[in-house]
Amino acid sequence: MKKRLYLELENCIGCRSCLAACTQCGGHEERNRNYVYDVNPMVNRQTMPLMCLHCVNPACARSCPAQAIQIHETGAVLSALVEKCIGCQNCTIACPYGIPKFDTEQNLMYKCDLCIDRTKDSIPPMCASVCPSNTLQWLTDEEIENKKKQFNLDNGKWVTSIPYLEGETNVKVNLPGILQGITKLF
Amino acid sequence: MQAKVAANQKTGKSIDNAFASHFAKSMFLAVCGLVTLSFFGTRMFTHVDLNLYGYMVGTIIFIGGFFYRFIAWGERPPTKIFIKKGIKLLFRKSTPKTSVEHLATYNFIWNRGIYRWTQHILIGWGCILSCFVTFPLVFGWMYFTMDDNGYYSIIAMGIRVITVPANGIIANLSYNALNITAVMVIAGVCMALYRRLKNMQARAEQKFMYDFLPLYMLLLVSVTGLSLTFMNIFLRGAGQPAMSLIHQWSVIITLIYLPFGKLAHIPFRPMSVFARNYREHYAEQSMKGCKVCGDEFVSTEQSKDVVEVLGVNDIEFQTKEGHHLAEMCLPCRRKYRIAQFSGFPIHELKVKEANQNAKG
Ligand code: HEM
Ligand code: SF4
Ligand code: SF4
Repeated sequence: MKKRLYLELENCIGCRSCLAACTQCGGHEERNRNYVYDVNPMVNRQTMPLMCLHCVNPACARSCPAQAIQIHETGAVLSALVEKCIGCQNCTIACPYGIPKFDTEQNLMYKCDLCIDRTKDSIPPMCASVCPSNTLQWLTDEEIENKKKQFNLDNGKWVTSIPYLEGETNVKVNLPGILQGITKLF
Repeated sequence: MQAKVAANQKTGKSIDNAFASHFAKSMFLAVCGLVTLSFFGTRMFTHVDLNLYGYMVGTIIFIGGFFYRFIAWGERPPTKIFIKKGIKLLFRKSTPKTSVEHLATYNFIWNRGIYRWTQHILIGWGCILSCFVTFPLVFGWMYFTMDDNGYYSIIAMGIRVITVPANGIIANLSYNALNITAVMVIAGVCMALYRRLKNMQARAEQKFMYDFLPLYMLLLVSVTGLSLTFMNIFLRGAGQPAMSLIHQWSVIITLIYLPFGKLAHIPFRPMSVFARNYREHYAEQSMKGCKVCGDEFVSTEQSKDVVEVLGVNDIEFQTKEGHHLAEMCLPCRRKYRIAQFSGFPIHELKVKEANQNAKG
């Protein structure tokens, strides 16, 4: 059963477990590849994770002169192949969300690969495995569909991804609380 | 794929169209070049070693595959830009230094780990040195003669380059050159295989055809090459003809495979010098300021090129503020996305990026 990463952004409590877990994935060489941002640090403690969304038409891969960024058959957009990346940094400029990281010393780009050696066998990626607040989940399309029914919005605002994103993505993003107008105590 | 298709639409030619002519031309020139060099090298074909005939055929097929792969590669819009501007910037003062660091000493692999560096030096230089010896022999650009007086000469392009005592150090090194390089390659490949056992990283994301096959092929080439020597010395040549065939066969398969798998990085890597020159040159020309915070984060030229390449792929990231997303620095671009989600314009707030360094 194909599962995908699904984010309910405002559940995030800012614990950064996902960043820590990311460093521990095989092949990540103890560096994390994602981000956790404050939403309005002067006012409240709300945070949101920012992950690679594994675009269906990934700008990073399209801009790479070396074809170093491969797209896996699961749809995951992989990190640069170590022997192919020529260090031009086009991908970092192209990504609409500023995801790929670049190591100048190693002349190598690295980015989220959705823990491909886990997810290709339907094991959740590290971040979703550890997230304690259900911000990052690993769900089938059917389960995502059920969530949609559960948040029965009459304002037509259930949207995963578009229009908050630039294009179709394999990772689905949602903001159920904010869209329903539920006020949270942060 | 999509990139390729888009590129074609833009130039209005079908790929076969552009391809057949480019491909045929390059192939023709390369074969003419080889034949001419061989003609002079062998003093008008009087010193051709027909044992090496298989290699000759293999090399020609390899050149075909090479052009096939790389012409298609060069047609991709981002690759085209780097090739075009890279060639223009080839005569920068820093080019020799960059080339040595990127293509000969691999400083950047050192920074990835000393193990990985040692492994690559052994494999890379093992292969390069082998080629320096093998190819000139195959095409007759170089051969050896033993004079009556116990001296040994290396003749390159018909010119006597060096004459040394037949049992001296240089002579011994040159008899054994391919044995030494074979041992280097075997050691390097074993390191690479061992790393796959020890470290999940080397295993992730990889397939047999892409990852293991080239390593096994290199191993096969080196082992069969070494056993030729072994049979010569210890078995008085027994089994040599068969082993020689296996060896030739393995070299030919490796050559044919080269443009398509992992080893395709070898002819493509010089592009990293182009990329470095491009970044250095245009950074000196003028830097692009972030549309939000004003930080200079990339050269104006590269920003422009990336926007153009994305455009060719029908990707337009216009913000409602009226600029392209590629014109924002990375932290601002990330915050801008959070702002799209939350409705609060955090990217306009002068606070530093939250802690991103949780350690595992
Ligand atoms: C033009 C110079 C070359 C450059 C700049 C270059 C660059 C690289 C880089 C950056 C890697 C990744 C290493 C890592 O991060 O661990 C690599 C891997 C590799 N290179 Fe090269 N290379 C060159 C020539 C060669 C040659 C001549 C060979 C010989 C066949 C070769 C064989 C390999 C192999 C087999 C790997 C894979 C190692 C593994 O999978 O662990 N390279 N190369
Ligand atoms: S979010 Fe960025 S890094 Fe991830 S696939 Fe899309 S363009 Fe590439
Ligand atoms: S930095 Fe590496 S992965 Fe990124 S576009 Fe350049 S070559 Fe491709």
